[in-house]
Amino acid sequence: MHFGGIYEDETVGKVYDRRLMGRFIAYVLPYRRMLTTALLLLPLIAASKLAQPWIIKVAIDEHIVKGRMEGLPALAAAFLAIIFAESILMFAQVYLLQWVGQRVMYDIRVQLFSHIQRLSTRFFDQTPVGSLVSRLTSDIEVLGEMFAAGIVTVVGDILVLAGIVGIMLWMNVRLSLVTFSVLPVLIWVAFAFRKWMRLAFRQVRARQANLSAFLAESIGGMAVVQLFNRERDEAKEFRRLNASYVEANLPVITWDAALYAVVESLSSVAVALIIWYGGGEIVKGTLSFGSLVAFIQYIEKFFSPIRDLSAKYSIMQGAMASLERIFALLDNDDREPAVLPASEAAKGTPQACQASPAQALQSICFNDIWFAYKDRDYVLKGFSLQMKRGEKVALVGETGGGKTTVTRLLSRLYDVERGSITIDGTDIRELPLPVLRRRIGVVLQDPYLFSGTIAYNISLGDPEALKRVEQAAAVVGADRFIRELKNGYDEEVRERGVNFSAGERQLISFARAVAFNPEILVLDEATASVDTASERLIQQGLEGLMQGRTTLVVAHRLSTIRDADRIVVIHHGEKAEEGTHAELMAAQGLYYRLYQLQFKD
Amino acid sequence: MRNRWGAYLLGALLLVGTNLCGLAIPWLLKLAIESLQSPAKAGYTPAQYGGLIAAAAVAQGIIRVFSRTTLLNAGRRIEYELREDLYAKLLTLDRTYFSNWRTGDILSRLANDLTNVRMLLGFGVLSLLNTVVIYTASLILLTRISPFLTICAVLPFPVMILIVKQMSASMFRVSKRTQEALARLTTRVEENVSAAAVVRAYCREEGEIESFGAVCDSYSDASMAMAKIRGMMLPVMAATGAIGTLVILFVGGNQVIRGELTLGGFVAFNGYLAMLVWPTIMFGWILNLVQRGAASMTRLGEILNAYPEVVEPEQPVDPGEIEGEIEYRSLSFSYGSAEMLRGIDLKIARGSRIGIVGVVGSGKSTLVRMIPRLFPVADGTLLIDGIDLNRLPLQRIRAAVGFVPQETFLFSRTIAENIAYGKPGATREEIERAAKIAGLSGDLTRFPQGLDTLVGERGVTLSGGQKQRVSIARALIKEPSILILDDPLSAVDADTEEEILSALSGYYGKRTVLIVSHRLSPLRNCDRIIVLEQGSIVEEGSHAELLELGGRYAAIHREEQLKAEIERL
Repeated sequence: MHFGGIYEDETVGKVYDRRLMGRFIAYVLPYRRMLTTALLLLPLIAASKLAQPWIIKVAIDEHIVKGRMEGLPALAAAFLAIIFAESILMFAQVYLLQWVGQRVMYDIRVQLFSHIQRLSTRFFDQTPVGSLVSRLTSDIEVLGEMFAAGIVTVVGDILVLAGIVGIMLWMNVRLSLVTFSVLPVLIWVAFAFRKWMRLAFRQVRARQANLSAFLAESIGGMAVVQLFNRERDEAKEFRRLNASYVEANLPVITWDAALYAVVESLSSVAVALIIWYGGGEIVKGTLSFGSLVAFIQYIEKFFSPIRDLSAKYSIMQGAMASLERIFALLDNDDREPAVLPASEAAKGTPQACQASPAQALQSICFNDIWFAYKDRDYVLKGFSLQMKRGEKVALVGETGGGKTTVTRLLSRLYDVERGSITIDGTDIRELPLPVLRRRIGVVLQDPYLFSGTIAYNISLGDPEALKRVEQAAAVVGADRFIRELKNGYDEEVRERGVNFSAGERQLISFARAVAFNPEILVLDEATASVDTASERLIQQGLEGLMQGRTTLVVAHRLSTIRDADRIVVIHHGEKAEEGTHAELMAAQGLYYRLYQLQFKD
Repeated sequence: MRNRWGAYLLGALLLVGTNLCGLAIPWLLKLAIESLQSPAKAGYTPAQYGGLIAAAAVAQGIIRVFSRTTLLNAGRRIEYELREDLYAKLLTLDRTYFSNWRTGDILSRLANDLTNVRMLLGFGVLSLLNTVVIYTASLILLTRISPFLTICAVLPFPVMILIVKQMSASMFRVSKRTQEALARLTTRVEENVSAAAVVRAYCREEGEIESFGAVCDSYSDASMAMAKIRGMMLPVMAATGAIGTLVILFVGGNQVIRGELTLGGFVAFNGYLAMLVWPTIMFGWILNLVQRGAASMTRLGEILNAYPEVVEPEQPVDPGEIEGEIEYRSLSFSYGSAEMLRGIDLKIARGSRIGIVGVVGSGKSTLVRMIPRLFPVADGTLLIDGIDLNRLPLQRIRAAVGFVPQETFLFSRTIAENIAYGKPGATREEIERAAKIAGLSGDLTRFPQGLDTLVGERGVTLSGGQKQRVSIARALIKEPSILILDDPLSAVDADTEEEILSALSGYYGKRTVLIVSHRLSPLRNCDRIIVLEQGSIVEEGSHAELLELGGRYAAIHREEQLKAEIERL
């Protein structure tokens, strides 16, 4: 059985795509001056390369053969100067290109990142994190490579090649033609080998993908492999894939070695031709020794850029593929919901919610809202709820009943499909997103911590919130454990906050909400059970957190529902019951049972 | 490098061959020019020299192909063998090892570090040999042309090598800095994307963009530092060549004029010196490669030298046919600092059906994972058919256990292949039967290719429940004497559960069956139910007995009834 053959050949893209390049040029334009400078350096570099054999020619013909010492030191000095000039110009050119490359990469990266910030929550539900990460990292890296070794260098190479051809023809047409007789072979080799190499490379990539996929899967499922005593079979399959990968590499090595050898030999054959034909010319007196030597040196310089043509070719290919992917993401306009014009959305809103345009929050209304994450699969079906200033409303119900969705809709992470949510009578869709979200503090069920300091995690880098970090930590009682840390508020939070307990992580996320000082608090209590010490911490934190705010809480704690002004029971996306704890308990309905089930401790 | 010495030796010899041909060319050039200058003393005509050069070039090319392929293939072969060894090692490592290592880390070692080692053993060795051969031969030939000129020209080389070595060291440092900056950038993106909801809820988009810009900036800076060092290499390279050429032009030219050196010698000298520039630069690069290769080899060594806690017994006992009697004797197990099992005493007769319940983290799964030795038995004893588990051959006990793990893992193969994984060479009928008992028949008819439907990324995405049932079928087809189901029906709806359970009860027969569940419904038909709490058995008995006891089990039972009531409302 062959299991590894599931990955198809990776498609190999174009080397140059006018549409993509045209769009890419726009990113380079701001740096055109630097780029032009780099381009202007190219003829200078080419000239200094071309001058070197010429100096040798002059030294041989005018001085060495004629036995004239005077002027030789000056020539040697000129040679040294030109070589240093060449290397400094090269350095400048490389540096400029890198600089432009880095700027362009920076611009594209930041633009792409900014673009991602404006995409909707749904987009993130559907897109794997890894693919976004590679768009912003490896794909952009490839563009940098294109700058370092791609297009511009090729232009320089072409200049040098053209210059060599010109000088040689000028020095001796017939000898040049004889020497260039190897060129058709060289060009044929370059093209033919490139084609074969590409085919061989494609196979290498496909087999490498198979091997890595197999390996990743096998490591992930190692327990299953071992439980079913299948180590030997897996090893056999791995050996097959491993061998087929190595075998695919061998032709690449051979083609590569052959290309190297053919180019090297052809350049020597060209030298042989120069000696054969040029020797005759010297005897006839139509060619000088210096020219013969210069010919040999020029032809050597001619071959070296041709050698790494294939490497540049694959870099360009990779860059086109990356550009394609980057632009595709930039063109994705699954934006965050837009702001509606203030108008009709308010009609049909119950009277209670239309009043008071005052500054301070008066009321929040959910009016018959419907929502589905997927197609017609409604999570909320005509849910309504009115909240007044300072009220604390607890949402309870089974998992998957739609409680969390209600909180997400309020901060417009998603938009309702039917019905409306209003704050003080204004449809939230008419409020600019920052205005709306600034009023709401959200505490997610799973407190997400970033790598950075504690202070950063509380303030998220917001200058206003930063001023309130310590105060906020004190309100939720997080200051006690933070003060005990070696670096206090500057203690580093490691990846996902692994160096803090579940309770501490919760408290940090509470402090975050307080630091932003929102009027409305939306809180999704964590379901996961924590140890008793953490539980006590969280308990105290919650009190500070909810103090004086209009709060909508998805409740999982006994104390939370007992303290709530009102409890709303959501069942299958609808409001099933509503009232205080005492009222609902007395009714002995759904809440009564849920209470026994979820809040028994 | 085992068995590859031959290849390296051959490669080295071929390299000597190709380089000798290459080195002959400037010499022939020298002779050709000398013959042109004084045709009387010449051995051959220029045309004949041309022919000789062409011959040398062709020979060099042919041998070049063989030398390169021999050495680079050797590198690839070693890579192949190393990869083989690494994978073979991974196959023996146990759960404890894999839970301490991130899969990504292991994969990156098998990709990047292996590449570094291969580069060292292939291209590195090739370049090193090349350098040595060219250096030795060129120096000899140069000295033959003019010892004085050679000393003048070669004098700056050691300084150059030193400079390149220094530069490659700082290149190594800066490249590490660049890598770290890139890693920070990657983390930043990953966190931003994963926490998209937090960023939006707190309106931190602008702040995020700003701080991302700062991270990009520091990465750009590191990259520019890298570019600068790389760029500096160019003047150094140029200087190496330039000083030599200067010496030739000035001193050599002088010598030619004074008749101490022929024009041919002058040209050849120039040619050999040009050949030396590249190997000189290569020296620093090879040093870098050795450094990196050695570091990578150490990282690979960490895998190769890892040892599993679960190992084959030194003196295995042949159990004959394993019948499925299980006995735990004061068995404890700790995972890190967490005590998962505390002094478990439990005897399970062959052919009995045992249910295990308890909250998350109570040790249910750990208890059953001990049987196929997914975890090592170190504290206490576990007996199978009265034999210490640690003395049973691993293969034998694992062959006797059909295990359906909690996290379902299927391979990206067809459904049939996934089921047959439990029994290599299973017939189509056997596969179909197992699928039927596991309740897959209905689903299969809805798949495009039935049993031959491909699972996973490139095929059909199965639902959680479907995956669980394939995983069950995979265990059933094994016909094990001990069947362990670790929460196997958690993603299956009540009706399907009912259907599968009744099909399974017909399959049980003489087998010992252990079912772990957080719900009680799958445990209905069990002879005995065990309630675990914090790693200890707190209640034990039949369904009726436990209900009467009115403890933990009864409480869970009440909860489930409530849930059912709520569902009906």
